[in-house]
Amino acid sequence: MPLSRLASAWRKERLGLTMIVASLAVIAITVLLLFRYQQRSEENNIQSQGASLVRILTRIPYARFVPETGKAGILSILQQIRGTSDLAYLEIVDAGGRVVEEIAGNDVVVPAASLPTEPAGWVGQRRLVMPGSNRKMIEFHAPLFEHDQLAGYVRLGYLQPVVGPRPDQLEFVASFALPIFLLTPLFYLLLRREVRPVREVNTRLDTLMGGNGLAGSVELAASAELQDFMERFNRFIDASQHRIGELEEDRTQLETSAKLLGYRRSRVESVLQSFPEAVLVLDESGTVSLANARVGQLLDVSNRDIVGKKPVEWCKDPGIIAFLSGQGGRRSHGYHSDALEYTPGSLPGRTFAISPYPLFSPQDTAEPPGTLVVFRDITAEKLARDSSGEFVAHVSHELKTPLNVLAMYSEMLQGAEGGREQFRIEAANIIHDEVERLALLINNILSITKIETGSISIERKRVKLRDLLEDTFNACARGGQEKHIDFQLDLPHEISPVALDKDLIRIAVNNLLTNAIKYSDEHGMVRMAVEETERTVRVSVRDKGIGISPEEQEKIFDKFYRSQNEEVSRRSGHGLGLALAREIIQLHHGTLTVNSAPGEGSEFVIEFDKEAELLRRAV
Amino acid sequence: MTGKRILLVDDEPHVIRVLKLALDAAGYSTDEACNGCQALEKIRGNPPDLLITDIDMPQMSGRDLCDRIAEEMPGRSFGIYVLSARAEDELRRWSQGIGNLDFLEKPVSIRRLLARLKEYFSNDDSGGERQCRQVR
Repeated sequence: MPLSRLASAWRKERLGLTMIVASLAVIAITVLLLFRYQQRSEENNIQSQGASLVRILTRIPYARFVPETGKAGILSILQQIRGTSDLAYLEIVDAGGRVVEEIAGNDVVVPAASLPTEPAGWVGQRRLVMPGSNRKMIEFHAPLFEHDQLAGYVRLGYLQPVVGPRPDQLEFVASFALPIFLLTPLFYLLLRREVRPVREVNTRLDTLMGGNGLAGSVELAASAELQDFMERFNRFIDASQHRIGELEEDRTQLETSAKLLGYRRSRVESVLQSFPEAVLVLDESGTVSLANARVGQLLDVSNRDIVGKKPVEWCKDPGIIAFLSGQGGRRSHGYHSDALEYTPGSLPGRTFAISPYPLFSPQDTAEPPGTLVVFRDITAEKLARDSSGEFVAHVSHELKTPLNVLAMYSEMLQGAEGGREQFRIEAANIIHDEVERLALLINNILSITKIETGSISIERKRVKLRDLLEDTFNACARGGQEKHIDFQLDLPHEISPVALDKDLIRIAVNNLLTNAIKYSDEHGMVRMAVEETERTVRVSVRDKGIGISPEEQEKIFDKFYRSQNEEVSRRSGHGLGLALAREIIQLHHGTLTVNSAPGEGSEFVIEFDKEAELLRRAV
Repeated sequence: MTGKRILLVDDEPHVIRVLKLALDAAGYSTDEACNGCQALEKIRGNPPDLLITDIDMPQMSGRDLCDRIAEEMPGRSFGIYVLSARAEDELRRWSQGIGNLDFLEKPVSIRRLLARLKEYFSNDDSGGERQCRQVR
């Protein structure tokens, strides 16, 4: 029989086989214990019988054991009385140890043995082995007396009972073992019949655990108790199946929700990453839950070290730590504009505004689930704000200075000084100068503001540059006649066409000429010339005035800049003329530069591209 | 009050001119400087009874001039009036560190200025505390 079949049979009938083996073991153990009990019982009987018999015999005088010729001795009588009991032998020996009388059973060899000579050992028992057969024996011995003198001994030997069935016991053993042996398979069959539904349940559970679902309830013929159990079990299975179905459905919904949330989160993260500013999100505990890459770049820290940690764990700037730490649990309603200005060490000169915006949940509008923190670059904004403030301060100063002069002179004219002819003439001239200065200042402020705010509309037209320059030059020359300045105009007969806004260019050229006159001494020289190169038209305004130091040559084009030169400060000016001229020239894609040295005068040069050059560049 | 010497500091010649005319007519003795450097030299040589200075000037502004005066002459006896387009908070905070200084906000009224000066020097003549007061 193949081993596999044996193994299969064992798996199927292991319960029955186990029961048979167990029943055999019970039978064997029971029989063994029975035999052991029987052996001990017999041995006890021998002990009792031997001890009492030897005590009886020791009271009989020695001579009575010595049979007379032709008569039966006591031993023979005893043998006849006891029949074939366990008594193996009876022996009488004299005091010298010689056998006087001996009776022994069949196949019994009386072992030779010396007897104790001391009175204390005269009565006793001992275990001996029968010579030639290894049968164990129990011997009882006692002294025999004749006229109160030791005359000999009596020895009674019994075969020691052995464990094991004797032929006469086989019937008893069979009648005991057979019913047990026969009842065992019967019990097994009954048990198997009762257990069969449980096996079916096991099969169904295996199917359930294997994910194959349940086809129906278990229909089995079983005992009443088991049937009740099976009905309950079927209901349990049905409820479990229903619950499993619900859980499967919930799981599907959860997986869908998780995917949707993941998609939305990735969208939010991509929006944050694409945000032009550095942005991070703090949760309610003040821990960073999201941050775009710009935060790390700005604060000089790896983004991996930001997310999932509190600002104190990664930020190096104590100001930002204190600011952000105050935002986590903040209960703020609506957007607020509390912002911290921050200049990163890695970007000197740049200013960032760190602004917190509380996040609101549609479900719970009272408790913001976190804070959005935006790091906005406000460098340009701050510069514009500062320069705007400076601009207002400068304009205020430049407007109030001539106003102050006008106010004081007019007040003086109303007083006693007004009665003096000389003062009236002086006041009239100064008031005229200051009014012109105010008008020029206001015009320049308006023009420069329009250009800077982009509200001016440049009307570029092909203009006769020669006529424009000549008119402007002559107008300025008339105003400078008081200083007896030598005005020189060097214009070619023909100048190539240039597309310009003639009103704006007139202002720019006028400012250059006015400056040249203002900073020239009496009997000085102001010269305007035009030169043409292949691609450009070059207009220069030269004077022989006080000149400009190299350090100041770039600054003079800044708004409201006034030279530190004492000679310059003596001459009125508001610091807008050159700034406006450069703005206008740059608006025409031209350049305005200065060549100058202190004491040697200055040359301002405007350079325009010719129309053809502009067209060539456009193409 | 006649003979009290007032130093006028401004880079605008017209302002110097009209103030000089008004103060001379009122009996004051005036001196002039076109920037802070010139004024400081004159004060070191001969301190005036009162200094009237513009703020925005080349080389050394009126503010720098006042700082230098406060530094060099902690126990000075003369007051300072500063001509300014706008007396802003920041400027006022600065002035508290100088002491005995107030502002003449442009445009300045000659009449009020003369009244103010009269009051300022009358305190001086009576031995009272001389303190600049703002003139508008």
